[in-house]
Amino acid sequence: MDSYSTYAYLKLAFLSSNYLHSRGMTLTGKRILMGNEAIAFGAMKAGLQIASGYPGTPSSEVMETIISHAKKYGIYAEWATNEKVALETAVGAAYSGANTIVTMKQVGLNVASDPLMSLSYIGIKGSLVILVSDDPGPHSSQTEQDTRAFGHFSNIPVLDPSNPQEAYDMTKLAFKLSHELETPVILRTTTRVSHGCEDVLIEDIDPVSKDIEGFVKDSRWIIFPKLTAQRHPLLEELQVKMSDLFSEYFNDNTFNSITKGSSKIGIAASGVSSLYAKEAIKEHSDVFSIFKAGTAYPFPEKAALEFMKGLTDLIVVEELDPYMEEQFLQIAGKYHLSINIRGKKNGSFPVSGEYNVDVVVDSINRVLDKIGTENIVLSHSTAAVKPEDIPPLPIRAPTLCAGCMHRTVFYAFKKAAAKMKKQSGIDSVFSGDIGCYTLGNARPLNMVDTCLCMGAGISIAAGLSHTPEFMQGKKAKQVAFIGDSTFFHSGIAAVVSAVYNNADITIAVLDNRTTAMTGHQPHPGIGLTAMGSPAKMIDIAEVLKSCGVGMVKTIEADDLDKCMDIAIEAMEFEGPSAVVFKGKCVAICKATGQYVVDEDKCTNCKLCINQLGCPAIFSIASGIPVIQDTCSGCGLCAQICPAGAIVLKEA
Amino acid sequence: MKFDIIIAGVGGQGVVLASRLLATAAMDAGYHVATAETIGMAQREGSVTSHVRIGEDVCGSLIPHGKADLLIGLEPAEAARNILFLGKDGNMLVNEHAIMPSTQGFDEYDPETILKFLKDSCPQTITADFTGLARDAGTYKAANVAMIAAAAGAGLLPFSEEYLWGVLEKMIPEKYREVNRRVFDNAIESVSGKSEKSGKEANEAK
Repeated sequence: MDSYSTYAYLKLAFLSSNYLHSRGMTLTGKRILMGNEAIAFGAMKAGLQIASGYPGTPSSEVMETIISHAKKYGIYAEWATNEKVALETAVGAAYSGANTIVTMKQVGLNVASDPLMSLSYIGIKGSLVILVSDDPGPHSSQTEQDTRAFGHFSNIPVLDPSNPQEAYDMTKLAFKLSHELETPVILRTTTRVSHGCEDVLIEDIDPVSKDIEGFVKDSRWIIFPKLTAQRHPLLEELQVKMSDLFSEYFNDNTFNSITKGSSKIGIAASGVSSLYAKEAIKEHSDVFSIFKAGTAYPFPEKAALEFMKGLTDLIVVEELDPYMEEQFLQIAGKYHLSINIRGKKNGSFPVSGEYNVDVVVDSINRVLDKIGTENIVLSHSTAAVKPEDIPPLPIRAPTLCAGCMHRTVFYAFKKAAAKMKKQSGIDSVFSGDIGCYTLGNARPLNMVDTCLCMGAGISIAAGLSHTPEFMQGKKAKQVAFIGDSTFFHSGIAAVVSAVYNNADITIAVLDNRTTAMTGHQPHPGIGLTAMGSPAKMIDIAEVLKSCGVGMVKTIEADDLDKCMDIAIEAMEFEGPSAVVFKGKCVAICKATGQYVVDEDKCTNCKLCINQLGCPAIFSIASGIPVIQDTCSGCGLCAQICPAGAIVLKEA
Repeated sequence: MKFDIIIAGVGGQGVVLASRLLATAAMDAGYHVATAETIGMAQREGSVTSHVRIGEDVCGSLIPHGKADLLIGLEPAEAARNILFLGKDGNMLVNEHAIMPSTQGFDEYDPETILKFLKDSCPQTITADFTGLARDAGTYKAANVAMIAAAAGAGLLPFSEEYLWGVLEKMIPEKYREVNRRVFDNAIESVSGKSEKSGKEANEAK
């Protein structure tokens, strides 16, 4: 708990939101804000009362910023166990008339999709903004899914800011729309909006109004086939109404705009892609007509139709799905327009990956070449060197931090599995999960054989355990790794199912007492709420026992031999078994010392390098291993050194 | 006015904080500014790049290839990895302290070769061991502060070092302020003898 709160203080001290308070009492003015911080300020300005969410890159800083200001403005903010719970919590508050926000990353919306799909029929009373961050690339996600399509699927309006300033302004609009139309509103960002900083013009925030109407009993809050049947036509009517409203925005709203160009070629873009397009055509900006829609769903059909009339060609610039492109194609078909629509669907633009100015320049040039415009060609800048001149560079894949407790656990299971294989010919399969410990897949550990989504490791291991003919007819040992926060997120239901169905699996809980990958948020196992109040500490081992897991052990993950012995014991146990490995996250705890290689004793066997993959140890081909500054003193390398050559550095 | 800066390094070196400090100082100096940062999985010892765009004409936060006016490399290989962003008249400031990847490829990584390539590619490349400089001043972790201070000290930024220190003073908790001040001053001192000629002038002189 101590390490968490100390770190939280330090981290928040670095957030510019604190910096801006240091400059005086008033907020009004331009401040350097990350897109996610701008959204938090926009929400607080809009009268936010209740906030819930689950961390996920690139969305986490929205809640973190709200949390760091919650007490000051009288906001209630919490981290929920998962996105479904977070959305439902916000829904409950919104039913009673509160202004609410719920935050998550795009795959989190999949978890929350069950309440989301029903909610659009029911609607809300106060206001409910669902912040969802997409991740083109992807940089830090399992999928390149597009939340605009989710808005379409669920009949929930989607706003799509292109930069932090728009994110701030659109957040305020989202609350207003949500309240007026009695519908949840999705605010969709992408990584470059969420994790980009800009000087953002913000305003003073008033302390939260405690004036919430309260829950009024009404049959409208109880979804039932009859109610759904009644509500569905109204929901469809609302979609048309919103589409018309968003078309009107082109007259008087800066988020939606049309500018006319000299040619019959148009460019349509949304989100951050609209800025790439603007920069790409800078030297020819008067040539193209530009359609920019910050209201992604419902698509502003009337405005789009007006824009398309008179154009012969339309270039659609958008990351992720060809969502706008399909809307334009539909309109062209519906109104029999003679226009060529060029985007992802005819090979002009890349169908995947993150865009940037260079990608957009190349793609627009491909289109211009097809159209046959001889005198308009977009140009790239000249780089200092040519790509082919760059010498080979070291590959630097993400890896577990130096001193990470996960490395000790992974290595213990690796050794345990090797021993079992040698003694009785039994193979082992390691199912991983989502978090820092997904990096157990990195060489030389190679300890993740499957990874799918949050909480899937235990269920997949259970599924594999029911296939006894797997691997030469000899039943393999199934091991599932799961982190502490992920365990609470979606691991518990999988444990119950595994016990109920007597799956022969071993669950290794990697408990470093924080949600590390997303920036060290607290969770139910820590004993601290998001706002820093003491909370009931939910003990993972007790949860496992109460679920009926036959063998549950807890061990500190610092002694490799002990970890290995307990790993073997758990793997040999018939039926579900679990070990909770406890340790600290080195990213938020002080180093306990540093190790050094004793040159006289080192035999240069390179076991420490070839087995562990610790980023603090390296060696050049001829030399003995060197331990760098980043060593945090876990001592794993010293434990495996056969020559006893790795010793604690004297202070 | 338009000034684009790439900051490249390895996760854990403080690239994100460096870009945040530069951006805030630029705003304090009266400029519009936009940044893009790498946060999340790649931060775990992976390659990390920040884009900082300063000026009235700023569109998106990602700098196109060949547009950057300054490349700050907290690590030699990471500077080389991002060199395509640097314009032909751009400047480079590179930390000589190499971070060796442990898992693979360490046999092929010779920082001296990379540093030579960087100097050959950009006539006005300033290199120094900024990690060593920071370590000597109190903490190796402040190499990021050392490098942005050096950039200001060498006249490579569109604003003076006072703006930068003004931001540092407010953003860094008091107990770390003294060590950061030492790093800041030593870094400026370390580049005081270096030429302030821009890359463009150097190219023209060739």
